[in-house]
Amino acid sequence: MSPEKRGTGDVAVEAARRVLGDGAAISEPRKLAGGAMHDSWAVDGTVDGSSRELVVRVSPAGRADYEKTRREFEVLKVAFGRGVRCPQPIDVGRFESGEDYLVMSRVRGDSNPRQLVTSDQYAGARKRLIAQLAEDLARIHQISPDDVAAAPNMRGPAAGEDPLAYHRREAEAMFRVFLLNPHPAIDWAFRWLDRQIERLPRPQRAPCVVHGDFRIGNVMYDEDGLTSLLDWEGTHIGEPEEDIAWLCTRVWRFGKNDLQAGGIAPREEWVRACEIASGLEISRERVATWEVLQNIRWAEITMMQARAHLDGHTQSHELAAIGRRTAETELEILRLTGALARG
Amino acid sequence: MQDRPTAVELLDALGGFMRDRAENARDRWERFQFQVAANSIGIIKRELELEDGFMRAEWAGLDRLLGAEEMPKEQAALAVRLGERNAELVEQIRSGAFDGEAEARLLPHLWETIVNKVRVASPNEAL
Repeated sequence: MSPEKRGTGDVAVEAARRVLGDGAAISEPRKLAGGAMHDSWAVDGTVDGSSRELVVRVSPAGRADYEKTRREFEVLKVAFGRGVRCPQPIDVGRFESGEDYLVMSRVRGDSNPRQLVTSDQYAGARKRLIAQLAEDLARIHQISPDDVAAAPNMRGPAAGEDPLAYHRREAEAMFRVFLLNPHPAIDWAFRWLDRQIERLPRPQRAPCVVHGDFRIGNVMYDEDGLTSLLDWEGTHIGEPEEDIAWLCTRVWRFGKNDLQAGGIAPREEWVRACEIASGLEISRERVATWEVLQNIRWAEITMMQARAHLDGHTQSHELAAIGRRTAETELEILRLTGALARG
Repeated sequence: MQDRPTAVELLDALGGFMRDRAENARDRWERFQFQVAANSIGIIKRELELEDGFMRAEWAGLDRLLGAEEMPKEQAALAVRLGERNAELVEQIRSGAFDGEAEARLLPHLWETIVNKVRVASPNEAL
């Protein structure tokens, strides 16, 4: 087959062969539900009578970002070694034809977040999940920047810099790139953030690794609760409050707005679980400030997605429609900052 | 004057088609795509019905914050000038003109304009 005509499923099989060797019998790949940037494939192989269940994530040639994929691989390796429930990373690489790939162990479970948040079948799982998430998040946050020195380009604050200040600055730079029309409320929110950052005591802890996309949609689960934390693409250096707040953003609650933590628990119960699991004192005010910043980041993602359509990069009515979700996020930012009460 | 069905009636018909296709979809992906399409039809419909009044309200709010200005009569010109005035408002916010006590004048305007955007884009999220 010529490399030009090769689909990401063929790439996945080829990557699996690199891992399992020429003697392995490899199944037809099955496409898994997944992100807009990559295709994920379930691939089974049999080597010397024993079977291996793999997930191979493939970034198509035009979208491949090998440095990012390697970063995810290196961080997963450390996290898996520390006992975090996550896929075991097996191989990372790229083909001359331009695609890159990440081979991982396949973990059982479901990843449909709406079902997790709303179905009676998972009521028991929801009850256990908060403590399990807090436990694994604490393990992630014990990883220091030095522990992941092999991971390329782990962006984060300079030595001695407040992680909140660093990520606020990054978020504004993103905002200026992605905005499609003026958003006075977001510009006002950046000034609100600056006042908070100046007012809040600087964190005394050293910066740590954060997951970077810690939301209910990246949780794999079964009826006993957490089986695996997925999607480590956004991993970087920060502070625990960043991941803690991202789980609370309104957009991922699936309508359960009284259960701010991912639609499964009240915010305070979640923060308390994180304190118990980590032994750290978590500043509620920092979490609240991060939640505003995280909503700004989500607003930026909605702009970026709409822009991908408008620029002609990816023709999609779905991406276009996401552009109109910026408004509900701005409303949430005004709610969280108490702008209504003061206005 | 166009014949009936009106634009809104045509959109209702289209929205009904999308919802029907969503209900009878072959898989989760197709159902989701038609739901999103039906939602977008809803946005267009609400915008046709509501946006005229919302733009006038936004203009009046900007008059209070930036000083009064005569409102363009034509809808397209109004939209362009509203965009420019919002950019002016952003410049003033960034320069600190609405820090401190002046914030109390800014926030009700931000709240009103955003609630109006949400009434069009995602009415279930509006207060």
